[in-house]
Amino acid sequence: MPWYLYLACKQLFPSGRFPFFTAISVLGVTLGVAVLIIVTSVMGGFGYEIRRMIVETEGEVDVKVTGYLSDPQDVLAQISATPGVAAATPYVKGVVGVQANSRPAYPLFRGVDVGTIERVANLGRFTNPPSAIANLDDDSVVLSSQLATSLGVHVGDKIEIYSPLLIEKLKNDEVFLPREFRVVGELYIGHQQLDSSTIYGTLRAAQELYGLGRSVHGIYVRLKPDVDEHAVVARLNTTLPRATTQAYSWMESWADFLWVLNLEKSINFFLLLFIVIIAAFSVMSSLLISVVRKTREIGLLGALGARPRDVALCFCAQAFIIGLTGTAIGVGMGFGVLAIRNDLVHGIARLMQRQETLRQFYQFSDLPSHTLTSDLVMTVVASIVISTLAGLIPAWRAARLKPVEALRSE
Amino acid sequence: MSEVVLAARGLRKSYQSGGLRIEVLRGVDIALGAGESVSIRGESGSGKSTLLNLLAGLDTPDGGNLSWGGEPANANRRATFLGIVFQSFYLIPEIDALANVLMAARMVKAPGAVERARAQDLIARVGLAERATHLPAQLSGGERQRVAVARALMNAPKLLLADEPTGNLDEQTGDAVVELLLGLCRETQTALVLVTHNAAYAAKTGRQLFLRDGVLNGSNSVAVSSR
Repeated sequence: MPWYLYLACKQLFPSGRFPFFTAISVLGVTLGVAVLIIVTSVMGGFGYEIRRMIVETEGEVDVKVTGYLSDPQDVLAQISATPGVAAATPYVKGVVGVQANSRPAYPLFRGVDVGTIERVANLGRFTNPPSAIANLDDDSVVLSSQLATSLGVHVGDKIEIYSPLLIEKLKNDEVFLPREFRVVGELYIGHQQLDSSTIYGTLRAAQELYGLGRSVHGIYVRLKPDVDEHAVVARLNTTLPRATTQAYSWMESWADFLWVLNLEKSINFFLLLFIVIIAAFSVMSSLLISVVRKTREIGLLGALGARPRDVALCFCAQAFIIGLTGTAIGVGMGFGVLAIRNDLVHGIARLMQRQETLRQFYQFSDLPSHTLTSDLVMTVVASIVISTLAGLIPAWRAARLKPVEALRSE
Repeated sequence: MSEVVLAARGLRKSYQSGGLRIEVLRGVDIALGAGESVSIRGESGSGKSTLLNLLAGLDTPDGGNLSWGGEPANANRRATFLGIVFQSFYLIPEIDALANVLMAARMVKAPGAVERARAQDLIARVGLAERATHLPAQLSGGERQRVAVARALMNAPKLLLADEPTGNLDEQTGDAVVELLLGLCRETQTALVLVTHNAAYAAKTGRQLFLRDGVLNGSNSVAVSSR
């Protein structure tokens, strides 16, 4: 090991101890890295959870129709025959009015083909009972959990649904009564928006509510594992009639939302990077004090034959080791906090008696976390580089000291 | 005549102080052969330490020539050609006595088994085998200076420069350190320049020189190299 690296280690950790100066410098970097990892992972978790929910409830590709598709069977056959496609299912969706126990709500009604929906969307995972979607008939619905709570209904209760068609009928002085549906299950996805305002019913019931006959609004598509969704989307867009249908990957469908999510993550990363930059100033300040405190030692090194370049490297190495140690501990601390994040969040909510508020207004019932390798690498590299750069000024000052003057200093 | 280890001719050095130019050295000539020892005495402020710094290549002279082993002095050769013992020991406080001795070897290359064995041998020869793993703070002044002597001899230098090595020690410890220095230099055929105030210590060296008015007075038994 070169002497400057050896001495840098010994000065930071003499005889295996962790001196106060080293501890403070390392702690600054540790906190910065831990916060960066926690925030980027939680932000990444939001993105990941959203992807999971979209894909598991709508499939990877959404073939949208301009207006409505009057004969979906041909298009369905075309889609199913496209390489990379595992399954496809038609849907009808639109806002409806719901009333139960004199409480109104305006959720999204999703009409799905009971026979094929489970091949595309894994809805059974989110419903209670799990067979609720499979057992749907034209007079039954599955309500999202928060919608059921806000309407005060349970499985077995009845609700009334008013469709926009009712307004059209009223314009023509026709009487159109709301349709009565039986609640056969509850849906709990874990996303505040979906859990608070979604109803699943059969495709036929939705077509009836919207007066669509046999037409549908679109087709959800599930892809085979490890298939490039962009390639399949491109393939679908070349084979399907361009004037009426357009295939979108889940990322394209949610592009604006994902862009905002990504922007938030980037802004958070940039702002939190300042913690590491401030920690780097602390490292620089500590090393500058060290240069002053060890002036005579630096002179001695010169007298022993050390070159100014090596003296500089000794201080740069100290900054690098502080950055490396702080980053390593910070990564551990960040993942440690992430491991108990839900206990922490629920503990704080319990302490403040705000569990219900948390459930109602928070996007997810649990704090999601998903660490992208690219985020981790960026955090680690940025913190080590910034910490090492903090050693440049102390290193430059130490290298400029003339041995004879340094040895004479008081 | 033995091999010339150190040769200085016409070394001059002056300092600017408060608008006044003080000429500290006005043309110092000195030459030293292998295994020789020489003492330099002088009043406080006479320029002894300045001269030693010039001889060690730590400072640049205003004029004159300096050669080590017949070649012009060069800072890159300092680690292997000479060892220095300071009045204030200057041990690195974070590492133990043995590691301080090995530090001189590290300046040249990463120490291997040979260097470690030599460092242990030197520590034993200065009487600190039992205290090799002690930090400088756990050693007395005399012990620290002995570690500094071992460090100065670590790279088997041709020349050892000692700048008042007993200045911070009591008489008894000082005697022991000087005896150690002289003994080791004799044993290893290392040339020694001892800067001291003490006439008794000076008398123990082969030649005694006195620095007065910026020039050295005394006998030079080895001819100054023409280089």
